[in-house]
Amino acid sequence: MTMHAVSDEQLIEWVANGDSSCLGTLFERHHRRVYQFCLQMTRNPASAEDVVQEVFIKVLRKAGSFRNTGSFRAWLFNIARNATLDHIRKDKSQPGPLPQDDYSESLMVDHRTAEQSAAGQERMGTLQKALATLPAHFQEVIWLGRFEFDSFRDLGQALDCKAGTARVRMHRAMQQLNLAFTELNGAPFDA
Amino acid sequence: MPDKNTPSLPFESGDANEQKLWAALAGLPRTEPSTRLRQGFYDQLEHAGAEHWSGRLRKWLGLGSNSGWLTAAACVLLGFGTAQLLGEPRAPESDRLAALEQSVATLNRELVLDRLRADAPGTRLQGVYQASGFAQDDAEIVQALLQRATQDRAASVRSAAIDALGPQLGSAAVGNELMDLLEHTDSPIVQLALVDLVLRNGNRQQLALLVKLADEQRLHPDLATHVQNSIRSDAI
Repeated sequence: MTMHAVSDEQLIEWVANGDSSCLGTLFERHHRRVYQFCLQMTRNPASAEDVVQEVFIKVLRKAGSFRNTGSFRAWLFNIARNATLDHIRKDKSQPGPLPQDDYSESLMVDHRTAEQSAAGQERMGTLQKALATLPAHFQEVIWLGRFEFDSFRDLGQALDCKAGTARVRMHRAMQQLNLAFTELNGAPFDA
Repeated sequence: MPDKNTPSLPFESGDANEQKLWAALAGLPRTEPSTRLRQGFYDQLEHAGAEHWSGRLRKWLGLGSNSGWLTAAACVLLGFGTAQLLGEPRAPESDRLAALEQSVATLNRELVLDRLRADAPGTRLQGVYQASGFAQDDAEIVQALLQRATQDRAASVRSAAIDALGPQLGSAAVGNELMDLLEHTDSPIVQLALVDLVLRNGNRQQLALLVKLADEQRLHPDLATHVQNSIRSDAI
């Protein structure tokens, strides 16, 4: 059996039983996405990397508390979310800079869909900036809902709330993003 | 390379601009971590593994019950020694740094208060977002946020100010003002912010008032249903 065939839930159970080497596989599977989430929240690459390391060490220490009632990813992002919020609270005097206006094409990844390709660089920069100006609880729901989860149940588990609450929060977060974007752009988003 | 298999929630809003924003979010840059992260993690994992084994060894040797005071004593001695060696030469530098940090914090606070009083709603909104970081221990900022939450002419600013005041919902001054606002506001966006806040952080009394307003149809119908469903699923 290769490691690819082993589920995250099985791996974390082995970690809980004392095989910490399985944590390496979980790290390789998930660290990029956890990092991207932490980076969005902290806006500081060095801080985001520190938080990611902390997250996976917490996973090692808390492995025994994982219950198979939900997905490992939701549990992992719940740890990541709490660690990031702790970091932001402790480091509130030195928030990372907002994304710069000179949004570079080179930063954009090559998997954009047709809609995003049509959107101008400047407008994408404004969108990135608008997202960064939102409070943490709105940024996290948008990021996790857009990039990490396809059900409100998992999203709610990651955010420590019920699926219905996650749904309402997402609705509000998108309203606020729309307002923030319109304020910064001088006009609503028009793809 | 970024992972192309990105899961995403179905977008549920009927607002065309929000739908376009949701689609556009997929194009945001997904920066890759540096190689330092992987190296750092495996170093920490090795260290954590060693700690794990040393913990087992201590337990096996019967030192478990002594570990607390032994560790504390060692830390005190180590701390004392380190302070003797490094303390004096570093003090002036750390004082200057502390003074500088204090000045920056004061300037930031003034900037936030200025923004909260600005004419442009966009600037006030920015002020509200920045004020969230100060609101926990600054009465003047809490007061300015309350004013935005209850009196601002832009619903978006009122809604954002309510969110920023969320952690203070338990304090009588803020809690009473916000619950009073919930009873009297007609704006669905403001109601939505307050309902979300009370469901998350409200005490028993505030939740009771929320249910009463929902039962009496004094909230937007969708919100009243959401309140009733949330409270019912909590009760189950």
